[in-house]
Amino acid sequence: MTPKPHRTLFDRVSGYADEAAAYLRRRRAIRQPFARVYYPGGRSADCGADADAGRELYRAAAALIEVAGPLQRAPRSQRNRR
Amino acid sequence: MYFDRMADAAAASAVSGPPAARAVSYLHEISPEMRGCAIFGPSGQLLAATGDETASARWAEPGQDFLAAADAAGGEPVAHAHVATADGEAFCVRHAELAAVAVTERFVLASLMIFDLRTVLRDLADGKAPESERRAGPDGAPAEGGEEFRAT
Repeated sequence: MTPKPHRTLFDRVSGYADEAAAYLRRRRAIRQPFARVYYPGGRSADCGADADAGRELYRAAAALIEVAGPLQRAPRSQRNRR
Repeated sequence: MYFDRMADAAAASAVSGPPAARAVSYLHEISPEMRGCAIFGPSGQLLAATGDETASARWAEPGQDFLAAADAAGGEPVAHAHVATADGEAFCVRHAELAAVAVTERFVLASLMIFDLRTVLRDLADGKAPESERRAGPDGAPAEGGEEFRAT
């Protein structure tokens, strides 16, 4: 049975969207922790965990994240539903 | 006015608090993925942070440590820093003599977070009210802020 003309295009676009979503999921899953510092003037530098300074930065960030705790969300009845 | 769009818990009025506390409240209002933040003054003293008086005081030492560690990483004061871990992401931004640290969920848009922090610090340094207060409605009631805060 011959498919409807618009169905072919829809299926192709859906396929692209599925591949893009899979790519983003893979990218999130494999993302490694990182630490990056930026200086006045635009210079930036990555801080690896193999150096003392980098380890200290990761440790300080972890302590700060622990202080913050989990995200506090408003009760479902107060959230904007769209 | 805007609390139906907020992802935070019950809001507290941001009108009567000190400027830094209102800035923290504003950050919670515009950053639904932010778990908490703190603002530090010129001497490194904590000006305001997320939570009530007891909770906000817990931000002082870890926030100062984070800023110090970022500075020590390259041997000079940083403009801003971003650390992403498996448990969340931490940011620090400096502007003029003020500094802010923030913790967010994973995979936030880092450039936007840093922009918001820097905007808030710039308004604080210039003595301006947060954007939510500048955009107050015709009845003069400002948009309510985020989580309850206390300035130390």
